[in-house]
Amino acid sequence: MLEMWLSGFQGLLHVDVFLFVVLGMAIGLVFGAIPGLGGSTAIALLIPLTYSMEPFTALALAGGVMGSVPMGGSITSILLNTPGTAPNAATCLDGHPLAQQGKAGLAIGAAGSANAIGAIIGTISVLIVLPIANDIVLLFGPPEFFLMSVFALIVVATATRGKMLRGLVTGAFGLMIAYIGYNDIAGGERFTYGIEYLWDGIHLVPALIGLFAVAEMINLTVKGGTVAKSATAVKITSMTSGLFETFRHLGTVLRGSLIGTTVGAIPGLGGTVVAFLSYSVTVQASKNPESFGKGNIQGVIAPEAAICAHDCSALIPTLTFGIPAGAEMAVFLGLLIIHGMQPGPLMLRDHQVEIYGLIWALTASCVFASFVGLAFVRVLAKITLIDSSILVPLVLSTAFAGSYAIDMSIENVVVTGVFGLLGYLMMRYDYPRLMIIVALVLGGNIERNLHQSMLMGEGGWSIFFARNISIVLMIAIVALLALPIFRALFKYWRVRTVSVGE
Amino acid sequence: MKHVFGTPIVDYLPTLGLLLLTVMYLVTGYGYAPEARTFPVTVAWVAIALVLLDLLSRTKTPAGEAVTRWLNPSTSAGKLEAQTHYALSKQIAAAAWPIGFVALIVLTGFLVAVPVFVMASMYFRGKRSLLISIPVSAAATLFIWFLFAQILQLELYPGVLFNP
Repeated sequence: MLEMWLSGFQGLLHVDVFLFVVLGMAIGLVFGAIPGLGGSTAIALLIPLTYSMEPFTALALAGGVMGSVPMGGSITSILLNTPGTAPNAATCLDGHPLAQQGKAGLAIGAAGSANAIGAIIGTISVLIVLPIANDIVLLFGPPEFFLMSVFALIVVATATRGKMLRGLVTGAFGLMIAYIGYNDIAGGERFTYGIEYLWDGIHLVPALIGLFAVAEMINLTVKGGTVAKSATAVKITSMTSGLFETFRHLGTVLRGSLIGTTVGAIPGLGGTVVAFLSYSVTVQASKNPESFGKGNIQGVIAPEAAICAHDCSALIPTLTFGIPAGAEMAVFLGLLIIHGMQPGPLMLRDHQVEIYGLIWALTASCVFASFVGLAFVRVLAKITLIDSSILVPLVLSTAFAGSYAIDMSIENVVVTGVFGLLGYLMMRYDYPRLMIIVALVLGGNIERNLHQSMLMGEGGWSIFFARNISIVLMIAIVALLALPIFRALFKYWRVRTVSVGE
Repeated sequence: MKHVFGTPIVDYLPTLGLLLLTVMYLVTGYGYAPEARTFPVTVAWVAIALVLLDLLSRTKTPAGEAVTRWLNPSTSAGKLEAQTHYALSKQIAAAAWPIGFVALIVLTGFLVAVPVFVMASMYFRGKRSLLISIPVSAAATLFIWFLFAQILQLELYPGVLFNP
């Protein structure tokens, strides 16, 4: 086993392979930063270029892309509140407030270092877990997938601290949107109102670009000025400040990496859920939860560590079962097949060197991309000083073009505009936007897995009580829902005790 | 402004809008076969219950205040920046720019809409000089053409007016 790890690592040390990793990293950084493009587009674009490459080199190039996309996405999330990729939406919550306070440098530095550490922890976990991955993933069936998705949805709703009810309202609304389109369970379309485009449902990325990029640009137009609240406030703290902050909150990094690794290995949940889950758990665990959403550095570290760790562990279901953990992995599967590698248990036996090379390439790219982010932090932070009259049209042009580029559909542009207005109204009336995204990601999974669970249980709910992991997840869901009520009761009881004492 | 249960009537509008949308969704849902509608209809009923609770939390009644205290404590008036009121006309004007841009893209395609929008936005809204607006709009168009049409080899949407 150790021999295979080392063979994979040694393969990367060849100059040509290493240069392809660096090329992949550069492409991933750019594609990650532009909303609507992301890793899947980058890999899809690169597939034809890999035809003549050795499989090892092709996987190294793909690993380079996949490793750096999160860093690219986090830069625009922090500076412009515009997530380059869906998982980076969680970084917006505290990253952008930090940029508004003139601490963009700190946030980017922390995001970069959390990415790097998350990737290293994710890699170590994957290297340990990969040989026994089959057995672990098989513990999860439809009932567990269903409950895990519901659990993730409620965790995120409860993390919109102080707004749990509104989080649940927007979560339910997001699920309603998720059921628009062709129904692969019963057949036929639902809620399309005769619009052909809606047969495919509402695409996640145009909705994401609208809810975050367009809504934020409308908000910036209303406010005027620059992203950073005052020009003199953009003091780029020394480049290493973010790095030190990450090490100061090592517990948050470890927790995020652990969530990224474990949840990332579950097919169908994806990086977005992982990032929000990590953020939510960090808020719940914090002694100062009120500071989140206002520029708490842990709100940047937690999702970023989880995203990179997830990118490593998402390889487990992709390689062992051929079940892609997200769009990026789905395109990556295509690359594997083109190079004669059939994902499945046999792949772990027949292509070990390539797999370990890929994992090392992904990790190296995550780490290099973090250094690049740190190196350019001073220049990048200046974006927050560009006046809205210049920034808004430039961001909107790129955002709408990115939305169109997903599948060359002009309807995507219209959807982005509609979600932009919806996002602005949600900001204006104080509804958490992130719940719509999480619900769009999980909606299909929830319905499909519930249906399959019901078939397994012959129409009854007993299946959920017959499996240990299901029972644990159900207890966790009930506890989560009850938590805010208990917290309010405790607060009320404490206030009463103090007033009686006085 | 008229108040209902101690709250300005306008503050109920987003919740009432959501309620209306959910009811429409529910009515549509009941038009589908039982197997197809089960889950969406269940979600819609849950959404209605949650929206009604949200509506209640907006009132200044004891029940409303209890719901806010327990489930929405940070949404009390005056706590959040999102509740800062900007002039409605300013907000409509800000939202009109992206809507106009989408309409322009649909009509004329990206290669016409992008330079027109960037230049108009900078010149009319941002009060920038043409000396700055024109080069920036040209650079933005060049970037989009180069990235999407050249590197990604995508055919940029030509617009309804120019689409043969």
